[in-house]
Amino acid sequence: MPAPKPDALAEPKSVDQVGFPEQLYKWSIPPDNPQSAAKVALGKELFFDPRLSVDNTVACANCHDPDKGFTDQLPTAMGVHAKFGHRNAPTVLNSMFNIEQFWDGRAPTLEDQAEQPILNPIEMGMPDEQTVVAKLSKIPEYQKGFQEAFGSAPTYRNLVEALAAYERTQNAFDSPFDRFMAGDANALTAQQKRGWAIFNGQGRCMSCHGWNPTRPLFTDDRFHNIGVSAHSAQFVPHARQALALLAKGGGSQQIDRLAIATDLSELGRFLVTKQPHDIGAFRTMGLRNLYVTEPYFHDGSQATIWDTLDHYNKGGVQNPYLDGGIVPLGLSEEQEDDLAAFLLSLTNQRYMAEAEKEYRNQFRISRTTRPQRDTAAAMGLKGRNGPGFSGPFGDIGPGQSAMIENPASLGGY
Amino acid sequence: MRRKSGIVTVTAALVAIGLVTLRYLAAADPTGVAQAQSSLPAHSVPSASRGAVVVELCDGVTHTEVKGLKPGQQMTRAQALAVTGQLMAEWRRKHPDRHWVLAQNDQASPSASSPENPARGNIAGPGETANTKSQQGDTYASFHERDFKVWQAQTDAFVNYGNQVFHSAKLLGSTIGVSCDMCHPNAANTHPETYPKYQEQLQRVALLRDMIDWCIENPIKGKTLDPNDPKMRALEAYILAQRKGVALDYGKH
Amino acid sequence: MAARHKSVETRFYEDRDRVLRALRNCDRRTFLKLSAATMGAVMAKGLVPPHTFQLIEVANAAVDKNWGTHGAQGSAPFRFAYISDAHLYERTLNQRFIRAIVKAVDDVNALDPQPDFVLYGGDLAQLGSPGQLETGRQILGNLKAPVKMMVGEHDWFLDLGEKWQELFGPPTYSFDWKGVHVVVLQSVYEKDFWTARKMTPAERMQTVAGLDNAVQSRFEVGDAQREWLKNDLAKVSKSTPLLIFSHSPLYKYYRPWNFWTEDAEQVQAILKQHEKVTVIHGHTHQMLFNQIGNISFYGMLSTAWPWPYAPEGLPKLTVQMNRADPFDQFDGCGDGEFTARTDQLVDTVYNLWDRNPVTVRADYLVSGGKVDRPPAPQFASY
Repeated sequence: MPAPKPDALAEPKSVDQVGFPEQLYKWSIPPDNPQSAAKVALGKELFFDPRLSVDNTVACANCHDPDKGFTDQLPTAMGVHAKFGHRNAPTVLNSMFNIEQFWDGRAPTLEDQAEQPILNPIEMGMPDEQTVVAKLSKIPEYQKGFQEAFGSAPTYRNLVEALAAYERTQNAFDSPFDRFMAGDANALTAQQKRGWAIFNGQGRCMSCHGWNPTRPLFTDDRFHNIGVSAHSAQFVPHARQALALLAKGGGSQQIDRLAIATDLSELGRFLVTKQPHDIGAFRTMGLRNLYVTEPYFHDGSQATIWDTLDHYNKGGVQNPYLDGGIVPLGLSEEQEDDLAAFLLSLTNQRYMAEAEKEYRNQFRISRTTRPQRDTAAAMGLKGRNGPGFSGPFGDIGPGQSAMIENPASLGGY
Repeated sequence: MRRKSGIVTVTAALVAIGLVTLRYLAAADPTGVAQAQSSLPAHSVPSASRGAVVVELCDGVTHTEVKGLKPGQQMTRAQALAVTGQLMAEWRRKHPDRHWVLAQNDQASPSASSPENPARGNIAGPGETANTKSQQGDTYASFHERDFKVWQAQTDAFVNYGNQVFHSAKLLGSTIGVSCDMCHPNAANTHPETYPKYQEQLQRVALLRDMIDWCIENPIKGKTLDPNDPKMRALEAYILAQRKGVALDYGKH
Repeated sequence: MAARHKSVETRFYEDRDRVLRALRNCDRRTFLKLSAATMGAVMAKGLVPPHTFQLIEVANAAVDKNWGTHGAQGSAPFRFAYISDAHLYERTLNQRFIRAIVKAVDDVNALDPQPDFVLYGGDLAQLGSPGQLETGRQILGNLKAPVKMMVGEHDWFLDLGEKWQELFGPPTYSFDWKGVHVVVLQSVYEKDFWTARKMTPAERMQTVAGLDNAVQSRFEVGDAQREWLKNDLAKVSKSTPLLIFSHSPLYKYYRPWNFWTEDAEQVQAILKQHEKVTVIHGHTHQMLFNQIGNISFYGMLSTAWPWPYAPEGLPKLTVQMNRADPFDQFDGCGDGEFTARTDQLVDTVYNLWDRNPVTVRADYLVSGGKVDRPPAPQFASY
């Protein structure tokens, strides 16, 4: 598949957007890589350049296509030689604000993140940094570009700094929700406002997908096991294996070896920190522009938003390491529709047309096909009260809060 | 006030200058002055260091040394006021719960009667000069002793209602038999003095009642209360009452 | 799953039969003494015995060689797990606590190798009702390893232990295990506060169920049981390590919350005559440990909810666990393990859910906090 060409959506986006977090933006630019027009231009060139891959077929933009919300809209990313990885490609949009990059948080900065796919055999497949640098150094445009941006010949570090500088121009706020919170009461439909109230109340979404004007990202930047890993039958045996190794004093290297040998990707953050509480935990992703970044979760296993809502509604997928905050929610069909509508309001206006199309498509599918739905579990009617001990638990409260006042109207933000 | 060897009897001096009569020095207990006078506790005041004068209060314990006064010498009015004010302040400090009320005389009682203002009233506190008078004749400050009891009773009742709700899964409307005291015995770990603060579970800046409502909805699984619901107000009252004396520290995590 | 391992009550009856056989081996005088002591103990507790069998186990190395291997000198190390303070309601009312105890059962069943036994630390029911106790028994019956039951106040004060004893046997007993003498106490007796107030059993139970309820009496082991303990330990050599399972802490931490045993000093006086003593207690729902003289104390976690640390009285040696987040029903809760070491001291692992486990070693306690200090909390109680 040829690498995408940059179009209007690839252009650096203005910081003058409704809901743009100016203070957070300042905090998030690293002091050793300040923005400059030359770096951004160079980074854009590199971002779309398939020559960064071993066979000249895969650019960053292949998996992070601006026209597809800076993702590839595939369950898991495809790299060189049509090899598929295990993880869904996260969006570059607003990624500069992530405290850590990747689903398992293994890279602390965008620069560190950019280093990895280029050298990953199943992504862009370059053998080592020197090869990359040597290749770029032979290209006159890059000789000039690096000289202008950094005052030197290409280096691997400069390469990723340029890429990061470009990525830091890809921020997509300016959504109906942002306008609503800025004071336009008509920016959300009545259904979306109901969804926002559920988001703060019965849905319990806000506690992990947190939003406030200073950090308007819809994420707590933490890692939780919500049970997606548990779809795989191998997850629990692998987890026990890894924890046993840890308990016996096994070190990082042993666990890494085990991971490669047995395909332990499902262990998530644990593979980075080697800490028991991180088993099967993945990053809480932001919720903006979801209808252009489908499919969902770290393995891209859920095709529609309704599938993700069904997952949460029934209390995730039971496994011994399931986060205790994941409980059955007792949401009705209407309430799930309200939430799905609310999430549409988090779309940046430049992506809205495509998002609305996807929303209508997913809505249509959700009327008939709901593989994750388990109403009995969601309503707390099915529990682990019998000798079989499988499935989530009930304890649904009286339903939508008596305080159904939209939290936005209560102020205090 | 009584005297040991080397101690000047101050009472007579004070009576002489017309400031104070024993009759009005009554604690807010109904036993009356006469009884108080006849059952004065035994004295435990140390004897004066050479040449100094020690004045002691009728409780037999509180005392102060008067500097620069020789035995037989009369105190000046200013000295007397300062000394007696000091003694009363000390007594009030030791008995914060006792109401020391200056009884009514011909004029309206001064606003000094609450225990929170020990240095006010007819008795000058330390540092106050003889010319300091408390404000008399203030209609809206004309409280009776009984008023304080009424306020206390009402407050206690309100806090007590909050106590009941706090400890009752039924009153809280819990659908799973959980009450606040299960995680917060005596309102421990509620930290009302730290609000307003950013509340992680709500992902916004919250006041105490916001968090109470969140807890009712989540761990307690009841219907959230309207902020003006008597139960909500009573819960707040109970929680705040448990943290009396703790310094306000908004934003603390 | 039920076929592959025995339920609690099956094991109980097997134990009972074993002891009865052992009793038959006594001479007549010993047997009469035991019976008299049994009746005395029963009457002291105010129980009118409808039960034909009161098991007061007297661990006696000479009596029954089937109790387990115990060497004369030193002990084989062994591990046992615990689940404690489940506070179950009927399943129609509350499933949160059931979910938690089931998670603990899963944790323990997944241990490899399996522990020697599982201690249940008390407060199986929240309000002591037959339904709640039955639910708990049914769930614990899924444990693969044998279960030793201990009673808590929430189990006891609805019917003063009648249903508990029907399901699980006597609340006070002892046994030997691999050279260690284990005693299980009923340390939540309370002086009668309910008769004068004309309380119904339900009201009595509700009163006891409130931690900060100043109406109830303070916990105690009581004269009769202390006497029993003295006699039980008289037969145990001073160098044999003791494991004491108790619901209340057997020391004085915080009186208003009954984190307290009224006759703690007297109990400790009996215990401390032995060289190595470890007390393992429930009730406090928090990471808690202490050393008093030669006695180490470990508090167990609850599966149901965490208690805050008391405003005063916290043992100096205790390193607090982080404050819990109520968004996560498991935070501050968990289960755990104990390891009885070859040197006869006991370590513990606090298996805190959604947190890394915390190991607390006897060396830390015995050294007065100088070595092996557990990690400090980020957010301590205040």
